[in-house]
Amino acid sequence: MLAEKHADRINKIFAKYPDKRSGVMDLLYLAQEEYGWLTEDALREVADLVDIDPTQAHSIAGFYTMFSEKPKGKYWLQVCTDLPCALRGADTFYRELCAYLGVEDGGTTDDGLFTVEQVMCLAACDRAPMMQCNFHFHEHLTIEAAKELIEKLRVQAQPETQEDGGA
Amino acid sequence: MTKTATIMIDDQTYQVPDGINLVDAAKLHGITIPVFCYHPKMESVGMCRMCLVELGSISVNRDTGEPDLNDDGSPVVRWFPKLQTACTQTVRDGTVVRTSTAQVLEARDNILEFILTSHPLDCPICDKGGECPLQNLTMAYGPGRSNFIYDDKLHLDKHVPLGELIYLDRERCIQCARCTRFCDELVGDDVLAFHERGRSLQIVTISDPPFDTKFSGNTTDICPVGALTTADFRFGARPWELDEVPTICPHCPVGCNLSASTRIDRDFGGKKMIKRIMPRQNELVNEIWTCDKGRFGHHHSRAADRLQHPMMRQGGEWVKIDWATAYHQIASKLKKYADSAGFLAGPTLSNEDLWELRQLAELTGDTPRLGVWPAAMTGAGVVAQVGIGVNTRLQDVGPETAILVIASDLEEEAPIWWLQIKQAADRGAAVVVANARETKLDRVTHTVVHYDYGDAVAVLNSFAARARSRRKTSKALLDNRVDGYDDLAAGLKGTRVPFADAADVLLDAENVIVFAGAEGLTLDQHRELMQAAANLLIITGHVGRQNNGLVPVWPGANVQGALDIGFSPETTASLIDEPPAMWFIGGADPAADDSQAAHVLANAEFVVVGAQFMTATAAQADIILPRQSFAEREGTYTNGMRRVQRFYAAQGPVGDALPDWTIYAQIGARLKGPKPPVSAAAVMRAITQHVPRYAGMGYSSLAHVEAQFPDVGGDDLYYGGTAYANHGGLGVQWATDAEDDSARLVVRPAQIEKPEKSGDLCIVPVRLLYDRGPLFEPSDIMHQRVPEPYLELNSQDAAHLSIADGDRVMVTAGEIQIETAARVNGHAPEGVVLWPRRLAHGPAPALFSACSVQKIEE
Amino acid sequence: MNLINGFATTIKHLLERPVTVQYPEQERAVRERFKGRHALKRYDNGLEKCIGCSLCAAACPADAIWVEAAENTDEERYSPGERYAKTYEINMLRCIFCGYCEDACPTEAIVLEHKYRLSFHDRRDAIYTKERLLDPPPAGAPDTPWVTEPGTFDRAIPIMQDPD
Repeated sequence: MLAEKHADRINKIFAKYPDKRSGVMDLLYLAQEEYGWLTEDALREVADLVDIDPTQAHSIAGFYTMFSEKPKGKYWLQVCTDLPCALRGADTFYRELCAYLGVEDGGTTDDGLFTVEQVMCLAACDRAPMMQCNFHFHEHLTIEAAKELIEKLRVQAQPETQEDGGA
Repeated sequence: MTKTATIMIDDQTYQVPDGINLVDAAKLHGITIPVFCYHPKMESVGMCRMCLVELGSISVNRDTGEPDLNDDGSPVVRWFPKLQTACTQTVRDGTVVRTSTAQVLEARDNILEFILTSHPLDCPICDKGGECPLQNLTMAYGPGRSNFIYDDKLHLDKHVPLGELIYLDRERCIQCARCTRFCDELVGDDVLAFHERGRSLQIVTISDPPFDTKFSGNTTDICPVGALTTADFRFGARPWELDEVPTICPHCPVGCNLSASTRIDRDFGGKKMIKRIMPRQNELVNEIWTCDKGRFGHHHSRAADRLQHPMMRQGGEWVKIDWATAYHQIASKLKKYADSAGFLAGPTLSNEDLWELRQLAELTGDTPRLGVWPAAMTGAGVVAQVGIGVNTRLQDVGPETAILVIASDLEEEAPIWWLQIKQAADRGAAVVVANARETKLDRVTHTVVHYDYGDAVAVLNSFAARARSRRKTSKALLDNRVDGYDDLAAGLKGTRVPFADAADVLLDAENVIVFAGAEGLTLDQHRELMQAAANLLIITGHVGRQNNGLVPVWPGANVQGALDIGFSPETTASLIDEPPAMWFIGGADPAADDSQAAHVLANAEFVVVGAQFMTATAAQADIILPRQSFAEREGTYTNGMRRVQRFYAAQGPVGDALPDWTIYAQIGARLKGPKPPVSAAAVMRAITQHVPRYAGMGYSSLAHVEAQFPDVGGDDLYYGGTAYANHGGLGVQWATDAEDDSARLVVRPAQIEKPEKSGDLCIVPVRLLYDRGPLFEPSDIMHQRVPEPYLELNSQDAAHLSIADGDRVMVTAGEIQIETAARVNGHAPEGVVLWPRRLAHGPAPALFSACSVQKIEE
Repeated sequence: MNLINGFATTIKHLLERPVTVQYPEQERAVRERFKGRHALKRYDNGLEKCIGCSLCAAACPADAIWVEAAENTDEERYSPGERYAKTYEINMLRCIFCGYCEDACPTEAIVLEHKYRLSFHDRRDAIYTKERLLDPPPAGAPDTPWVTEPGTFDRAIPIMQDPD
C-alpha cells in the first residue's frame, strides 16, 4: 500500500499544493513507480488518497501518455514516429527495433524486460530518430546504437532478475 | 430590473437581457444556432464547434462614445477574422452576429461531416432515432455525402453497461461531454469521465457501483446522440410511436413533473402501458430533471401481483367478490360502527381521493377521525402561515440566499431538492446543514451543524435567540402582524447559542429558506421543530416573499394535500392509542411501518383496506379494495411547496381496480350520500368550492401552461435534450397567510422535549430513497441499487460490541428480533443505531426504541 | 353487310383460344414485380433479417403494420445485432399492397412476394403474425433463436460499403 510505504513522500506531495486533489498526478507517478504500471487497484488507492472518484483518476491516467494502464516491461521504449521524425527515418527505425526485439507494435518481450511503442512528438525532431527509455532521451539513434543500448540494459538487468528469481 | 442589451442578429435588431449566452439570446427570439455540446443548464465548453457564427461588434468612437458610421450611415462593424463559437460568447450592447451566411452554413456542413466520420449508421435500431439532435441537425445542415471512406469508420463496442441502468454505445458518442459535465458540474458525483484522447476518447466509469449517482437517467436525456440509453426503455418503441401523457411522480414530496411515454403492448394484453418515464419541464419544480427512482420506479403500476378484484375474508380464506357486494358490505359495517370508525389516508392518495374519503367519513358522524399515514410529520398550520413564498425558483437562488436543511437527509428523501440546493451552493448560496449525522449534503457547504438527536428544536431556538441578540429581527413585521412575540422573547432569553457561526450565516442573508425533515423526531418534537422554524422565519421577516419560507420534507407525494383536506397525523396517533372498532384505510401500509399499528389492526373488529398490493396491512383486512395506481387514472397531488399539480391517465386499467375516489363515493351513495361524481374533475370542482385555499384550482387552471425559459422539448431537442415540453400544466401554488398582508402571524415558544433514552443503544429510523416499499420493489431494474437490509453503528459502539463492518448481527428491540448486517462507516452518532426504513420486510422498531445488538458468530 | 361483319367478328373470336383461366384449379403466373403477400426474409445462415426498427410501420399509409421490438442476447438470438422484432403483425385487411414497407426497410427484411390468395373466414385471421410471415430457414440452417458466441453478431445493419 502506498499510504504506508511512502507516507513521507505522499506528505511532501500534499504539502506542495493548496488542495489535496492537485497532488493526483504526482501520486499517479508514485504509484506507477511502485507497481510498474497503473492497475485499477492502484488508481483506486490514489483516488482514495486525494479524495476523488476512481473514475477521475482513471481518466487522468488515460489522458497522459506517460501513465500506463497496461503491464509494461522493465524498460519502456517510446519511439517518436511523428512526421518530422518519420522523415528522418524513425518509422524504419521503429520497425527494425521491433524486429530486433521480436515483438509487435506496442508489445513486450517475453522476458518482460522491454516494451516498445510509438508515441507522438517528444520535442526532439532535430535529433531524430530518437526514443525515450523510461523517460530518458536517446537521440540521433541508428538501429546499431539502439541494439547496443538494449544489450547494455539486458546485462544491467541480469543480476537483478536472478536475485528476483532466487527470492 | 435586468439590464438589456441591443444586439443584431442576421441584420435585425433585438433587445435581450445583458450578459446572457449568445445561443440563448438568439433562441429567445426564435433564431436557431445549432449546438451539440452547449446546454442551457450547464457552463459552455465550446467542444463540438457546431455553433460557429460570424461575430462582430459595433465599432464605437472612444472619445465621443458614439458608434462609428460608414458613408451610408450604417454603423461600422468590427468582425472577427474567423468564425466564432456562439456558445462561448455572452451578449453585450453592440454584439453583431450572422447565423446564416454561406460561410457559416459551410462550417456547419463541415463540422457535421467530421462528427459523422465515425458515427455508425444504425439509426434504425437506435433508441434515439426519431428524436435525435444529430439526426435532425444533419438533415437540416449536414452534407448529403461524405468525403471520408466508410471503410475507415472506427468500430467500437456497442453494448457497454455503465452500471445496470445505463448502456453506452461507444461508436455513437460524439464527445460533447454533456454527460460528464452533468455528473461533475451539476450533481457533483464525478463518476463519469473521458479516457484516452483524440479519436480514442471514450466515456468510462469505474466507480463502485458503476455510474454511482441517483440522477444517471438524466444523462440519457441530454445526450445529443444515442450513445447513452436506459436499460429500462431499451428498444421499447420508436419515439414517434409513443403517446406522451403528463403525470406526476408519486414517490416523494418534490412532485416532479413527468411525461409517461405510452404505447399499447401485446404483452400487456393490448392495453396502453408506460414504456418509459421522462422528465417534463417545470422550471418551478424539477426544471428538466428527475431522479432515477422517479424515472425507473414506475413498474409497480403493471406488476403481476397487483390486486385485481375486491376480496372478502370468509373463514380465513380470501373470496373474490364483486364491487356491488363490497360497497354494500362496507356500507353496512360503516353504519354499524358509525361512532367508532377510523379513517387513514396514505401518502399517494390524490386530493380527489382524500376529499371523497372525507365526504364518506362525514356521513358516519359529524367529527370523523381522519388520520394521515405516515404520521411522522406535522405542521399544517405552520406551513399555512410561513410556507415557502409563491413562485420561488430554487434555480435562481444565489449568494443573497441562505438555505437551512434540518433533520433531513435530503438526497435520500427528496433528491431533486438536493440537486437544486447543491447547485444553489455552487452559485454562492449559503447552505447550512443541520442533522445529527453526516449526510451527503454536508459536502456542498462548510457550515455543518451536528447536534445530538433530540436537540434539533434547541438548535433552531438558539438561532432565534441569536437573531434577537444581534437585533436581526424584522421590526415592521413584529410590530404590525405578529402575535405572541413577547412570550417567545421571554422564552428565548438566556438561550445558549452553540452554533453561532451557522446562525450568523442565516441571519446575514437577504433570503432564508428552511427545509425541515423529521429524522430522529417524534411527532410531538416535530411539531415543535416546525414551530421553531416558523418562529425563526417570522421574527427575522423571511416569510411571505419569493425565495423565503419553510419547506417541509413530507414523507410522501401528497401528504400536503392530505393535511389541506383535513387529515392529520395527530389523529393517526390517537387512532393508534385509542383504536376504533373499524378501520378504513386507503393506500397506506401502517402494519409494515409500525409494529404498534400492526398490533392495533390485528385486534380491530373490522378492517377495510384499499391497496395496490397484498401489503402487511392488506393481509389484516376483512375486505380488500383494489385501488388504481397513479398511472391508470387522473387526479392531483400537492407537493411540498404547496403546488397543486395534475396528472393524467397513462395506462390501461388492471383488473377491476378503481380510483379511490370512485370507491369512496360509491360507498357513500349507499349510506344515503349524494350521487357519486362522474369524473375526477367534478371532485376537484367540489374541492375548489369547499376548501378555500384550493379555490380557483379547477382542472383547466391546473392545466394552464406558460412559455418557460430555457425553451426545451418540442422541436428543440438539440438545445435541451429530450426532456419533454410541458403540455399538462404547471400547477398552481396556494398562497400562505404571510403573503396576505392582513393576516396575523403567530409565534409561540417551541418546547424542547428530550427523548427518553432507555438504554445504551437506541434505534433511529432513517429514510432511504431506494427501499423495498410496495411502490418501488416491483421495479426489478432497480434491485441492484437497493441495499441488503443493514443497520449502521457508531465505530465506538461497534468496537465495544466487537462488531466489524459487514458482520451479521441480531438486533433485539422489545419484542422485535431481527437478523441483519452491520455497517460501521462513521455516519451513526454514538449510542444510536441507524435503521433504514423499509429495507427488510418484517416488523419495524419505533423511534428511539432501546435495543441490543449482538454479533452472530459464524 | 353490317350483319356479315358482325357475325365475322363473332366467328373470329370463336376460333381463338379462350383467355379464361380456371381459377382456382389453374393459376396464372404473375409478373416479376407483382406485389402480393409479404414475407419476412432471413439471411443465408438462417438469422432473421428483421431488426424490429418499425420503419415499415412508420411508412405504411394504411397503418397496417404493428411491430414490437426486443433485445437479442447471445443466449437467445433472432437477428444480428442488438434488436429484433418480438411482435410483427400485418393486418391484410388494411394493407393496400403499396410496397412502401419494402422501400423503408433498411435490411431488406420485408418483401412483397407473389402470393395473393388472401381470404379469411374470420377478421382476426387477416392479421398475419410473425410466425406466418417469416420464411422458413434455408435448407440446413438452424431455426431461430440461436445460442451464439459473444461478439459474433454485433452489428444489426450490414456495415455500409463505399458507394463508389
